Order: sequence, then C-alpha cells, then structure tokens
Amino acid sequence: MDSASRPIRTVVDFHQGTLRVVGLSYEFIQKAINDVPLIWDERDHCFRCDAIEASHLYSRLKDTLAGRFDWNVEASLPKIPIQDHRKLSLRSDQQDAIKSFEIGNKRGLLVMPTGTGKTVVAIELIIRHQSSVLIVVPVRDLMYQWHSKIREATGIDAGLIGDGVHRVSPISVTTYDSAAIHMPRIGNLFSMIVFDEVHHLAGPWRRDAARMSIAGVRLGLTATPPRDPQRLSTLQSLVGPILYEQSINKAAGNSLAEYSVRRIAVHMNAAETEHYRELSKQVQRFMHEQRQLDPLFRWEDSYKLTASTEEEPERAQQAAIAIRAYRAKRKIEDQAIGKLRVLEDLFRLHADEPVIVFTGSNVMARAVSIRFLIPCLLSHCAKRERREVLEGFASGRYPALVVNRVLDEGVDLPEVKTAIILGGLSSERQAIQRLGRVLRKNERDQKAILYEIVTDATNEVKRSRDRRRNDAYRPKVDSKEDGERDAAK
Amino acid sequence: MLRSEHSIVKYDFKRMMVQPDRLHRNRDDHYLSLVQVAIELYQDGVGKTRQSLHREVEDVFFDVPLCPPRRVAALLKLLDDHAIFDKEKGAAASLRQKVFSLAAPMHPLVEKQEGMFDHTIETARQSISDALGLPWGEIESKLFSDVIELQVLREFLATIEPESLLSQYNVAQTQAALYRAVRVRVEAHADFKTILRHAKLAGLMHRITPLQTDSLGYRFDFDGPQSSLRETTRYGIRFARLLPKLLACRDWSLTAEILGPREQRFRMSLSPRDGLKSPLDAPEEFDSELEKSVLSVWESSPVDGWEMQRESEIMVRGQEVLTPDFVLFQSSSGRKVFIEVVGFWPPEYLQEKCKRLSKFLANSHDEWLLMFTPSKTGESQAYFEKLSLPSVVFTQRSKPEEWIPLG
Repeated sequence: MDSASRPIRTVVDFHQGTLRVVGLSYEFIQKAINDVPLIWDERDHCFRCDAIEASHLYSRLKDTLAGRFDWNVEASLPKIPIQDHRKLSLRSDQQDAIKSFEIGNKRGLLVMPTGTGKTVVAIELIIRHQSSVLIVVPVRDLMYQWHSKIREATGIDAGLIGDGVHRVSPISVTTYDSAAIHMPRIGNLFSMIVFDEVHHLAGPWRRDAARMSIAGVRLGLTATPPRDPQRLSTLQSLVGPILYEQSINKAAGNSLAEYSVRRIAVHMNAAETEHYRELSKQVQRFMHEQRQLDPLFRWEDSYKLTASTEEEPERAQQAAIAIRAYRAKRKIEDQAIGKLRVLEDLFRLHADEPVIVFTGSNVMARAVSIRFLIPCLLSHCAKRERREVLEGFASGRYPALVVNRVLDEGVDLPEVKTAIILGGLSSERQAIQRLGRVLRKNERDQKAILYEIVTDATNEVKRSRDRRRNDAYRPKVDSKEDGERDAAK
Repeated sequence: MLRSEHSIVKYDFKRMMVQPDRLHRNRDDHYLSLVQVAIELYQDGVGKTRQSLHREVEDVFFDVPLCPPRRVAALLKLLDDHAIFDKEKGAAASLRQKVFSLAAPMHPLVEKQEGMFDHTIETARQSISDALGLPWGEIESKLFSDVIELQVLREFLATIEPESLLSQYNVAQTQAALYRAVRVRVEAHADFKTILRHAKLAGLMHRITPLQTDSLGYRFDFDGPQSSLRETTRYGIRFARLLPKLLACRDWSLTAEILGPREQRFRMSLSPRDGLKSPLDAPEEFDSELEKSVLSVWESSPVDGWEMQRESEIMVRGQEVLTPDFVLFQSSSGRKVFIEVVGFWPPEYLQEKCKRLSKFLANSHDEWLLMFTPSKTGESQAYFEKLSLPSVVFTQRSKPEEWIPLG
C-alpha cells in the first residue's frame, strides 16, 4: 500500500456489513492495533473487518489516535425515548439474569427454560438500553409476537423486517433469515441486538446476522445452548459467553407447573400393517443389496445415489424406488388411522378443557383439523387468522387447537394443562420447547399431562424412547408408569 | 431461478471440477416428448391443485430410466414459474373461521355415536353444510386452498416449446451451481461495458486486469465486500443473477470457484461454446445512433497515425469504473484522447462530470474530449467556455482532425 500518502485523515465507514478503514498505514496497524482483525483490501484501497468489530475498533482508535479520526459508521435513526408501561415486578431469578448480563459487559447468553420469562428479561434490558435495538427471532410468528409485546411494554409500534414487510424503526424485529439477507444495509442502524432462541445463529449463513451488525450490546436468549462445543464457541464469539444459566429442573419447582408424560402406542390396522410390511421389506432388500456392493453404505447415502444416473444408472433407479417406499412407510407411521381414534378418545376424556395437539407435519395437522373441525396453526396462516384462532382458543370459543411443530419455539400458546404430541422427531431441543407449552405456570395446583401418541412396531417407538432419554423428560415423571398402563388399555 | 435443493452437480474429484446437470441434444432427446406431456398436463390442468399436477408429472418421469427425482423437481419449478396459481388467501381463512366456529359447540366429533349428546362427523358436516349453503365436498376442497401445494392452477402462461423449457433448465442448473460460488472470474474480449454494468447492478465488487493477449481484453474478478475477510458463498445468488446477462454477450469465458463437499474448492468453467442460451437478447452494438454516426464519420476520413476504438478501454479507480465512448489512440506516441458523447445538461452538472472524468486520467499526456450534438436551444460559446474540458460539436460534416488536440 501507499504508505507515503500518510498524513491523510483516518476515516472509518460502514460498507455492506463490513467496516472500511482508510488513512492508516500497515505499520501503524501492526504496531498499535494488531488486536483488531483488519485485512488489507486492494479492491477498495482500504483495510477491512467485520462490522461486529465496531466497538472494539472504535475504542482502540480512540486510544491510539486521540480522537483524530472520522467515525462515519453509524447511520442515525430518529431518537425515541423508550417508556415503561409495564405493571410487573421481576422475579428474583429474572433479576439475577439481568444483573449477570450487566456485569458481563452486556455481551452474552442467558440460558433460561421456556416459560421462565426470557422475553420479560429481554424487554427489561431493552428499556434500560434506551437506544436503537434490533430483535432477531427464528420464525415470522415470533416476529409478530415480539411486536405486540413491545407495544404492550413500551407503547412503541416496532418496525418489522421480513414476511414481505420492510419497515425499519429504532426498535425493529426481524427473522434470522431476513437479518442475514438485509444486514449489509441495516447493520449500522442498531446499537443493541437481541437474538431470541440464539442457538439458531450458529448456522453458517445465519452467522452473518451477527457479524454484519455493529451493535455493541449483544443479548442471546435460549433454553437449549448447543451441546456441540464448536457451535457453542461460535455463539460465544458472535454474541458473548454464557452469563446466566437456569436449568429446567430448577425451573420446574420454581416457576413451572409440574407435569407427567403418558405414552400411548397405537397399532396399525390390517391394511396399514400389510402395506407397511411390504414397504419395509422393499427398503430392507434395497439396503441389503447395497451393503453387498458397499459394506459401509448407509441409508442417507441413497439420496445421493439417486443423482448418479450416469455412473450407476441401475442403482440410481433402485435408490429412487427405495426412497419412495421409505416415504410411504413414514407416512403410514405418521398418519396411522389409529392415531385419530386415540385422539378422539383423548378429546372425549378432556372434553371440558382446552387441549393442544402437536403434529410432526403440516399434512397431519390438516388431517386432524379436517377430522375434528378444529382450527390449526400452520406456518402459512396470516397474522390476522393466527390472532383470531389464538384469542378464540384462549377465551374458550375453540375447544382444541392443532399446531405444527414448525411453530414450536417460543410461539406463545395459551396456557393449557393437556397437550398431545403426534409424531415428531427425537431431538432434545424439540422436547424441551414442546414441554414448555404445558409447563407454563398455572394458578390451580393440578398436574399438567403430556400425551404422546406413537405408532407401535415402527421406528416411532424408538424415536420416542430417544426423546425420553433427554433431560427434559426425567424430572417429575413419577406417574409415568401408571399413566402408560392406564392409557394403553 | 431454481432453489438450491434443486441443484444437481457432478464433482470431478480428479480435476476438482464441477459440472452442473445438463440435458443434451441427441443424447437426451427422449426428454422432449416427456416435457411435451408435462406441458400439456399443465395446459389442461386448470382447476387442479399444484400437488396433483406435480404428482401427475412425477409419474410421467418416474418410468424413465436415469432421471433423478431432483431433475423432475427442477423442471416442475420451471413449469410453475410459467403458471399462475390461485392465491386468494382471505377466502380460505374466512371459510375456516366459519367452519370451525360452527363445529366448536359440537366438539369432540366422534365416529360413532355412543352417548346421547355425542356429535358424529356426519351430522356435524351436514349441519355446517346447511348453515353455509354449500355441499360438504366443496367446503372441504376449499378449506385449505391457500396452502401452497393445495393452490389451484388458474392459468398456464404461454405456449412454451419443450426445447425452450429444456434450454431454460440447463441455464437454471448452471445458475444453481453458482449459488455455491465464492468468486467468479470472467475473461472477455467484447461487451465490457455490459458485463460491468450488470455486475454493478448485481451488487458485486471487482478487480480488473487487462489481458496480455493480441486482441483487446480484460479479466474481471467478481466477489463481494465480505470476500476479503473469508471464503463466503454469500454472493452466490448475485453471480447467478449475472449469468443470463453474460450469456447474451460475445467472446468471454467464466471460471467460478465453488465450495464443494467438505468445504473443498472446485472450479466450474463456462464459455459460449457450452451453448447455453440466454433468455435475453444480445446487447445492442451501439448505445445510440449518434455513436454509430461518430464512428462512420471517423471511418470516412480517419487521421493518419491515429486509431479510433469504441468502448475499448476501462478506466478504473478502485470500485469506480468508466468506459469512455471512444478512444483515439496514436500508436507512435502512446497518446490517447478519450471521447464522451454528452447532452446539453446544466453547466453545473457538466462541471461536476468534468471533474469526475479528469480524475480518471492516469497519464498526463492523455486528454478528454466532450462531444456535443448541435444544440436546439442555441447554447452559446460562453456555455462551452465554462467547462474545464475541451469540447466539440459533432455533425455529419465534422472533420475528425479537429478532434485531435494540438501538441
């Protein structure tokens, strides 16, 4: 670089999610601020780093250049005071979380189980921040939910970025995907960023949502920090260290209702069984043949195999047929007619109280909705319909509700004592979040019940077993054995 | 454009090359009649749901040996792009509200009546059907007609030929392969201005190097702001957007660096020899009639020792580029006169432009010349004197030697 041209004034600006620094020599950077990862970029004749480095870079420049630089990074949004319209007092665990965040330099993760009021904590911190904030959430539903919570707490009509809306204001809510897309243009608008269900941030593409933001105050909320150390360390570098952690066991006695789990196995009918066996055989035969060719062949490999139509046309064709059979098989597991029969019995049993049903797919959710003519919440439902359904359910106008698991995380469902799971996968995260629905605090001292309907003699039994190995199912399941016996009659 | 889950590529681990899926004339001719059947299914499919159309088309291709399911999914995406599906969201939602509200007092609906007060599915449907004045079958079919796979085909656009759908397929698969690209290099011997304009529109950053070849050419390395910090596929979609524009140009070659399995780096090469058809027309040879006549006036009486080239030189200042309309070049001295054809803008605006143009001069013996067409508003000598760069008025009777500055 042209270091002879130094006494140029140092200028820093925001460029599509990165910071550009001009007017500094390589030698100066090496000597004085080598702890900021600046990289020479000959395309623009500048040094460059991720926008996430903004507050670090600013303080280092201030130390070394004594104010002799232009900081053209922040774009200004109109300043608005954030008023406090809330009428609540924070619980002591919530106050602990807030204290930990503030002591921890306002950059880090708060781990709190669903139902313990993560949002309450976040809103308190937003009000204390008194400046621009971007809230990043996993799904569109949550975006609208945050929007209304912010309005309740502060009276502010927050901006929305995503779901076809692009309304940027000093407090805005967006989804992870929209944030990753738009951050090059909005990354310099917010001085605080909140990541709700922060474990979603660790994906390679979504990381940009954190990297391209200049926000110095960074809050990550989750019930389930990733177990994988690499993903956890990614989160720590993008947001900050874990500053507060409350386990579900502690929460269960404290702010969450107690609950029991009852598993009900459903047998397939004769036609389903026959079809199922035929399909299973087909898949097994295919796997057997493939293992003869390649002892290390795994089922997942067959998806790739379908594409190799030129190298191995016959195998590709067989793989395509086997995958079809596999899908049909899974469909029988998922949609076994018996499940709807059990559901009818459970609806009868709990006819006088609200019941939420979770399904593993949109198709199953619609099947339940059409069979029982109860409303379903799917990802495609518009905001207005969703509100109407949730309000109707909360007020008792609708007796039951069926929800796809896509809406699992954090979407506020009315409090219930009875929930039913149909299908679904065995990941721990899903289990904890799902339990959250029935675990919510309730005034009456009555145990919540979580039913789980699985198809017998299929892989679903195994998946359910996997799920129950998770920590979330271990506490307070004293009545499980009885429950199973009762329900399996 | 396809979604990334439709992308089919072949990795050549020996040469570390990527080849996007492509259907070839002759070898894949049997696809023409199948695609014809698929097109007809869509043309005759008005009123059917997307789901059932997709199933019908999938069945057509399922019997074909060697056709990966993703290829069918990609073709379906292209067919869907030519179709209009009903999207009246409100209607289905308000029907649902009515049906579920009517059904709520009857909950739970049972298969067989046991107790006195049980409501069966049958009776519930009947009473809802009566209340709404619609047969149940119609209610059920409309209840979720806003779900993407249950949307109903309203119209299939155009009479698309199988050949053209297959050529769209080949372009779309090449675009999809670029979604995983971290950097794209284009070497071109023509249409520089078009390539750069579209790269800029796609939001890409460039490095530009003249090619050391006999014929005039440039190498463009395209990527984005974050690319200097890490390998990122963030700009893949921008490369994909540039591709159809590039396909319409002449005399270029493209090399993309693509992130493959286990983050390994592969290359993809492409040139007009691959025969991909752009959906766009070739760029106009001249931006305007005026430029055409400037060139023809020069060619009728060129000045000895000087050569006139059109849009041949790219002037680069970092991420700013300028392609002068013409360059006059004296090979004996290496002197250049850059000509910009301009209109009669307010002098303040033109002064700004003059400043900007001057910044691009790399050599002190090069010059700018602004070329005006005869004014209809009668600008005076004073107008031209305000400008900091020399100017001439061009007419059909202009003498090219007047364009060459003294000294």
